[in-house]
Amino acid sequence: MTVRRRTPEKVALNTTSPAPKPVSNGAPDNPLAAELTHLLGPKKVLSARSERLNYRYDAIQFGETPLAVVLPESTADVVVAVRAARAARVPIVGRGAASGLSGGAAPLQESLVISFTRMTGLTVFPERREARAQSGVVTLSVTEKARPHGLIYPPDPASFRTSTIGGNLGENAGGPMCFKYGVTGDYVRALEFVDEGGEVHELTRGAYDLAGLLIGSEGTLGLITEASLRLTPPPRYTRTLMASFPEVGEAAEAVSAAIAAGAVPSKLEFMDRACTNAVEDFLAIGLPRGAGAVLLVDTDGDDLETVEEERALVEAACLRAGGTVRRAATDAESAALWQARRSVSPALGRIRPQRMNEDIVVPRSVLPDVVREIRALGDASGLPVVQFGHIGDGNLHPNILFDPRRESPRAVHDLAHEIALVAIRHGGVLSGEHGIGTMKRPFMREAVDPVTLGALWSVKHALDPRGMLNPGKILPDEHGDGAHAHP
Amino acid sequence: MNNDIPVLQLGPQGEVMAHAVDACVHCGFCLPACPTYALLGDEMDSPRGRIVLMKEVLEGALPLEDAAPHLDRCLGCQACVTACPSGVPYGELITSFRGWSEPQRERSPLDRAKRAAILKILPAPRVFSVAARVGQYAKPLAPLLPAALRAPMDLLPERVPAMQPSAEFTPARGKRRGRVAFLAGCAQQALTPNFNAATLRVLARNGIEVVIPEGQGCCGAAALHTGARDEALRLVRQNLGAFDPGDYDAILSNAAGCGAGLKEYPVVLHGLPDEERARAFAAKVQDVSEYLGHLLREGDLERPMPTSRPLTVAYHDACHLAHAQKIRLAPRELLRAIPGVTVAEVPEGDLCCGSAGTYNLEQPELANGLGVRKAGNILSTTPDLIASGNIGCHTQIQSHVRRQGSWVPVMHTVEVLDLAYRGEL
Repeated sequence: MTVRRRTPEKVALNTTSPAPKPVSNGAPDNPLAAELTHLLGPKKVLSARSERLNYRYDAIQFGETPLAVVLPESTADVVVAVRAARAARVPIVGRGAASGLSGGAAPLQESLVISFTRMTGLTVFPERREARAQSGVVTLSVTEKARPHGLIYPPDPASFRTSTIGGNLGENAGGPMCFKYGVTGDYVRALEFVDEGGEVHELTRGAYDLAGLLIGSEGTLGLITEASLRLTPPPRYTRTLMASFPEVGEAAEAVSAAIAAGAVPSKLEFMDRACTNAVEDFLAIGLPRGAGAVLLVDTDGDDLETVEEERALVEAACLRAGGTVRRAATDAESAALWQARRSVSPALGRIRPQRMNEDIVVPRSVLPDVVREIRALGDASGLPVVQFGHIGDGNLHPNILFDPRRESPRAVHDLAHEIALVAIRHGGVLSGEHGIGTMKRPFMREAVDPVTLGALWSVKHALDPRGMLNPGKILPDEHGDGAHAHP
Repeated sequence: MNNDIPVLQLGPQGEVMAHAVDACVHCGFCLPACPTYALLGDEMDSPRGRIVLMKEVLEGALPLEDAAPHLDRCLGCQACVTACPSGVPYGELITSFRGWSEPQRERSPLDRAKRAAILKILPAPRVFSVAARVGQYAKPLAPLLPAALRAPMDLLPERVPAMQPSAEFTPARGKRRGRVAFLAGCAQQALTPNFNAATLRVLARNGIEVVIPEGQGCCGAAALHTGARDEALRLVRQNLGAFDPGDYDAILSNAAGCGAGLKEYPVVLHGLPDEERARAFAAKVQDVSEYLGHLLREGDLERPMPTSRPLTVAYHDACHLAHAQKIRLAPRELLRAIPGVTVAEVPEGDLCCGSAGTYNLEQPELANGLGVRKAGNILSTTPDLIASGNIGCHTQIQSHVRRQGSWVPVMHTVEVLDLAYRGEL
């Protein structure tokens, strides 16, 4: 591990920027908040309860109100905050835009939340095809800043207008583009992180791939403060098609057939009937409300003929599987279809106010069986179960929707467990891109063998010996399991 | 999200509020849409953060005065409503919450006097006109005055025009195609009388006769959105009495904020005796661009004359047109219907200009930050003309564009159309 201190880059939103910043009203009501206010000043520390209670949730659940919130503007601020929390023996939870779907950013106990949204320094180095981004940079803005140089940053989680690079790294976020282009971790050349003792490290992918270990560790091994990201030129041509199928299994069959025929679409997504309808209620763009499932497919590349050929391969597979195909005629039409797909997750709130979000990945060969088994489990349970996801990767998001006033959380948990077991039985895993967090943590013992789990615990102990970094996430408790939070 | 809001104790508005809180899944898709989040970068000044704060106050878990500073910073622009895939009716939530919480607020006597003055002067065109003129002459003294008085003065144009009361009846020219009622508006009668004059000319030219019903008053939006619910209810009832929806094809407004206010009447009267009447009334309300847009699409709009030279018009989406009323296409189509006009899209077009009703008087610092940003974005399109459909945006944009050294004209969409009809564009 190379240790090097870096001078933090200029940040866009900081205490010297022209916009007025709220100053915490009222005196800090606990020693940690008081100490942090003393060290960092009132504009970087939130200590009033009205300010803190908004830092206890992510997009899936609520946790405990933190003791204090730090909004650092530099790596140096993070170091100060980490050392103060360590001295006060208070756990630390890192937070990006908190659009995560596994409970990763929701504190399970009184903690210090470090929210990176003001660390927005971003520099593009076109000659190296690289961007250096602080943690709080919004994902989409990397591509926006790189595009004038003829470059893009491919990882594109559905929340890319909101989510931050730090959060993406913490969860190793994916997105529609990942089928062909890979996930966040594939684009990281180097990263800087602050360890639990407040030391700053700069990691590359050489020697031990410790950067790889930090990516997807959900803030349990260190706090990522900056990263060097690989950029690529965008493909010259992109073609979009939408196919609708009477039944969800047919959509999965079309996917398997298209890939077997040699097509490598850049995006291959699906959503079932309930998803399509929830999104149509929001966007009203003419999605086929009656279809059992819809596939959205992009083919891309620099050679138009090949791009069209690939689309034709996918189209033929869809037709053979019983689908109806519509080609997007214009860029605007294809943009609308992709906005539809990106909106699925929050639009499900229209059906029930709460949900349990699964993030399973299964081999593509078993996709038709898996989606049909999950459909059947949902139908038998009486709970609304919907499916969507990056089906080209075998990454499915079965969601159990519920209203805690009408439906039993116990039944929801049991059904989630059964769905997780379907994935494991078919040779799949619990998480593709959203992390384990607290939502899938209870299923870890079934998904990971005890020896491997032991190795994971050894890593955790090595990097976080006191267990102060995002406790209660990913790894099941070594001695029984007590952590709980509510959606 | 889960909540224990005591709906029954809060009355009909409680139901509205609890429903909105229920619907939020705290996904964060609203964050990039929120102007105050863009400026401040913290969760309390974002839509989902404010929803949590309101929930906590309604549940009795957080004192109102702790949440108030963050709720007061909300512009009510409803950009978050457009961005929300879950369908959270945030506008209804914040308006209802302000109405519910205002009577419990402890405000300083100065603050109370300022708010009372705003709500007295704004809806009374004649009083407003006098006040504006006084303000115009006092402008050189502005640097000596307290901030509370400086903000409104900054927004006044160099010359406040004379009041031009509109005729109660404007006949259609040529073949009579329709009959509409028109809300004359408050501040704009004093500041920009040509908005109404141009609107009446354009409607008449298209065969529409216009009635400005006697007895109408302010739409009530300013009172409603500042939490003066009783005053708002009084104005709503006054207008329900003045406009009989059965008499007209449509009830038109040419101010986005007022039009949105009129369309909100059923929410204001939710659970009260006149709710059905409000619904029938609101069903007839249209923005003038919406109404003219229908004529255009049906081929019934008289063709404007070509411009004397190619013109780039930067069209600014007023929040209360784009987000509250979902009207984006019609004004653009009307401008494009003028041969020679190219409509320029403004970068960050969905971000509020900072005017937001009384916001630039109550939160001058934030309003100013947004105004600077908006003017910069508009001027980056190097327009020959700036068009919008709301008096508040008009004043704010004009004042900030001038401060950035540009003399490009700022007009109402209908004024542009009116000039084109007269061959003066």
